[in-house]
Amino acid sequence: MSLKRILSTALLSIVLVCTIPVVDQAARTAIASEKQETALSMTIDTKKLSGINLVIARMYNEDRVLYAAMVTIVMAVLGTVLAFLTDLVLKALGLEVSRISHRE
Amino acid sequence: MDFFNIYLPVAGIEFNALLLVLIGFCVGVLGGFFGVGGGWIVTPALNIFGFHMAFAIGTDLANIFGQSIGATKKHHKMGNIDWKLGTISIVASIAGLEGGSQVVLLLEKAGDIGSIVRWCYLFLMIGLSSLMFYDYFSRNPKKAAGIHDQSKLAGQIPQREKATIADRLHRINIPPMISFPDSGIKSVSLWIVLAIFAFTGFLSGFLGVGGGFIRMPALVYLIGVPTSIAVGTDLMSVLFSGAYGCLTYSLKGRVEIIAAFIMLIGASIGAQIGATAVKYIKGYGIRLLFALMIAFAGCSIALEQIYKITGNEAYQGAAGIVLMGTAVTMTLIIVIRLMAGFRREQIMKM
Repeated sequence: MSLKRILSTALLSIVLVCTIPVVDQAARTAIASEKQETALSMTIDTKKLSGINLVIARMYNEDRVLYAAMVTIVMAVLGTVLAFLTDLVLKALGLEVSRISHRE
Repeated sequence: MDFFNIYLPVAGIEFNALLLVLIGFCVGVLGGFFGVGGGWIVTPALNIFGFHMAFAIGTDLANIFGQSIGATKKHHKMGNIDWKLGTISIVASIAGLEGGSQVVLLLEKAGDIGSIVRWCYLFLMIGLSSLMFYDYFSRNPKKAAGIHDQSKLAGQIPQREKATIADRLHRINIPPMISFPDSGIKSVSLWIVLAIFAFTGFLSGFLGVGGGFIRMPALVYLIGVPTSIAVGTDLMSVLFSGAYGCLTYSLKGRVEIIAAFIMLIGASIGAQIGATAVKYIKGYGIRLLFALMIAFAGCSIALEQIYKITGNEAYQGAAGIVLMGTAVTMTLIIVIRLMAGFRREQIMKM
């Protein structure tokens, strides 16, 4: 085993041993703080809302399945459209991609 | 800047739209370039700036799903996706993920699970970055020193390269053997591939993370996939896990759609730029940048843990600065390298 490998293994071991008590204590504190965190509300107060915010809030409150379907479809459609538009801009700038050779 | 503040009805908070676009752009570039979801950057970033943790995770998953579509398509165009390997990775990862989450449930009954999970997370970050740094500086010393093929110049027979972990795993002959022509792998035991992905899936389930940053190095170092194909194939898995995450979190009411929508504008543009940059940076360059990013993310986690022990908010602030600083710096490096590579290509064409 080379000296370089022995030194790097020793260094890594020291770092790990030193972090154990710190991480353990941190985790205990984190769990205690998580228990104190307040529960999230599952309905939205629509009194002060209007426009698109009101539509989204109503859907969220009344039909969660429809809300989930809408979120998933909107993200898929928007992701595709934006990627297409960005691709067009990049092509116009000359940054077109084709099959590449895989160099290491 | 208050002009850009918008009200997010589901999360019930006001948030700066420009900040959302910036976070989205950074994670898009990093996701497209490294083939990871980037949840370990977006979730803490949203949380630091005021999102409740549950909304931060759900909104991030919705964004990951949207941004991965375009980036996966671009990697496919570049021939960076091994669909066969990717499909096997999804199936085996799901089994591993289920196993990991079951272990978490068992340990929860026994008592203090949080400390074990966090300890493993930090251990994994340090271990992965150390392995990748070691690999870069030990296997590529000539390239690092700018000496190329010295043995050829001196008329000597080139030294036989040392067998990698992947080479050793390929030699294990447990039928059925399978080949991955797209990745240049002639023969490997299906059981070895399944075991590797089940293990990475197990870690994802155990740590509660998407797992892109675990799968990408596993593809490179354990299966022996070229780095750019590892990036594309991993991104394909991220796309499917993101779609599932988006649906399940929005069913639970934990996706802030307006925030995800705005973040996706930056993320989609960033993902296309990140995926294109893979064309201009060699495999080892990607590995080095990935190792640097993991190392800084590990520092941020360590600072966050110190904050939880001491209660000193300065550490939490420092953790946020390190995390966002790493994301912004890495994004800049990738964009600059892309521009430099493009300029070089244009000069060569002339």
